[in-house]
Amino acid sequence: MSRKITIDPITRVEGHGRVTIHLDDYGQVKDSFFHIVEFRGFERFIQGHPYWEAPVFVQRLCGICPVSHHLAASKAIDQIAGIDPKDLSPTATKLRRLMHYGQVFQSHALHFFYLASPDLLFGFDAPVDKRNIVAVASEHRDLAIKGITMRRFGQEIIKAVAGKRIHGILTVPGGVHKTITETERDYFLDGNNIESIDTMIEWTKEVINFMKGYHEKNRKQLDEFAFFPSGHLGMVNDQGELDLYDGKLRAKDFEGNIILNDISTDSYQEYFAEAVANWSYMKFPYLKNIGREKGWNRVGPMARLNVCDRIPTPLAEKERQFYLDFSGHKIINSTMYYHWARLIEMLYCAEEIKLLLNDPDLLSGELVRQGKPRNKGIGIIEAPRGTLTHHYEVDDKGMITRCNLIVSTTHNNDAMNEAVKWVAQHVISRHGNITDGMLNQVEVAIRAYDPCLSCATQALGQMSLTAELYNHKAELIDARTKN
Amino acid sequence: MQELKTKATTLIIGIGNIGRNDDGLGWDFVEKIEEMQLPHIACEYRYQLQIEDAQLVSQYETVFFADASHQALDNGFEIKECSLVDHYYFTSHSQSPETILYLAKELYQKEPIAYTIAIAGNDWDFENKLSEIAKENLDKALQGFEKWVNCSTENNKSAILL
Repeated sequence: MSRKITIDPITRVEGHGRVTIHLDDYGQVKDSFFHIVEFRGFERFIQGHPYWEAPVFVQRLCGICPVSHHLAASKAIDQIAGIDPKDLSPTATKLRRLMHYGQVFQSHALHFFYLASPDLLFGFDAPVDKRNIVAVASEHRDLAIKGITMRRFGQEIIKAVAGKRIHGILTVPGGVHKTITETERDYFLDGNNIESIDTMIEWTKEVINFMKGYHEKNRKQLDEFAFFPSGHLGMVNDQGELDLYDGKLRAKDFEGNIILNDISTDSYQEYFAEAVANWSYMKFPYLKNIGREKGWNRVGPMARLNVCDRIPTPLAEKERQFYLDFSGHKIINSTMYYHWARLIEMLYCAEEIKLLLNDPDLLSGELVRQGKPRNKGIGIIEAPRGTLTHHYEVDDKGMITRCNLIVSTTHNNDAMNEAVKWVAQHVISRHGNITDGMLNQVEVAIRAYDPCLSCATQALGQMSLTAELYNHKAELIDARTKN
Repeated sequence: MQELKTKATTLIIGIGNIGRNDDGLGWDFVEKIEEMQLPHIACEYRYQLQIEDAQLVSQYETVFFADASHQALDNGFEIKECSLVDHYYFTSHSQSPETILYLAKELYQKEPIAYTIAIAGNDWDFENKLSEIAKENLDKALQGFEKWVNCSTENNKSAILL
């Protein structure tokens, strides 16, 4: 008899989702879906509000990556105030970058230590009581302490520049409203009150070494688990280097051929479209010239390291070279390499934070610039989870008339569905029975993308995630709910 | 920044969302305590508790977690002792006071005396104001807490709270 499995909720991801796996008469996987059924709303809520409210308003999309929304919206609103990214003052640009690197550092730390590490430390099919940070704290105390301290370091950076760790405010149209003081800067450099930025760099290198050791022991699993070909999208600067704050969009196919050639972020609409499905609130962005079926791209750490020519900081670039050695410097299409790439990006952010903290422009300088107002602004940054687009249009009074958000996780929508399908076909189809461990492997595949489902749908309220099992008559015959 | 403040021995964490009317009771409670300028008491505000709060609570001898309650309570509020528990909620967004205390002990070998302060509310709409019932309950909770502060011995303090 055919069946359908549902995993609900998907655990250790930001937000709530649901997976359904459909089996045929012979118990083989026929199809699978990763459903996001939260309500999407912010694109509509913001209409009718004055443009300068957007950076404050939209960061409420999320409690994990509000900085990304604050900065992407700010870049768009700068344009409505007549200021392009290159025209922002050095002080404003550097303070925004500092905030962004702090955000990516803390977000990646949260994901690796709190969410992903149980999968690596205890195994993909570990028992439920092992699959959480509490078990990591009990059995890997030093690692857990470092994770908490590193996350907190990034949050303190955000607090220093924006006043609060969550939902702080740094920007105003055309700039920033404050600098930081010498005391605030030295707090991160001298190691007297918290671990210094030098310690953060050393600890990140240690965690990368842990990942290298894990890779050495588990290379086959990392290579093969949820492997599938796809395009990869990210931002690069004029030199082709990784840039998380500003630059041009580049995409490569699964073999490394350029499919989007360093286009201006302002022209994203010429190249991208979004498809919808009747089983998910999350959209499916794709490249128009390639089409819906094959034009989707992975985004985030692994994709960014795939598309850039190099990382501009020396320690992170050295680690990227080592990481690429395993693929013969070809495109990496193995889902689990996201974890390693994420750590390399942490090192890049830590190096950039150190450079910025030693830059006198952070302490004083021109804060705000003004230009000729416009009716449209597009801000794109590389958020922790990937390419994030904020697009606003305003009337002549500066009231928002249109808003389009393409949130990072939506780019990975197809990829996460592919990952679920891979696990369903390779792990669940192969066995006569379905265990908790097998279902957890579905989550492992999704979790590698660090999806933020609330962001992706601009959620209201709460929904738990369920795994459901359906037979060939579409009758629900089993369900597991995690909450 | 917490480390730069004068050393406090008691921490009060207000939990909730002031944009949801009575869900802001935890924050309002902490705000009133801050206005009293009581010595040796530090205050923090949280939408939800997160894992790194284990490090924060480990730095104090006594910790209070103040939050709104959906349930009606005798006297409008309830202060209870809080013990550590090995439990993990499925998302990193939110952890219980008991889990935070467990992590403080596991990671930092610290076990502060801890209490939860539940204050009953009944209006959870999308506005930024307390209902009349919530205001009354907040006053009662503050009076209960003030008695605790003014008590000289730990035994008497426990008696007041429990």
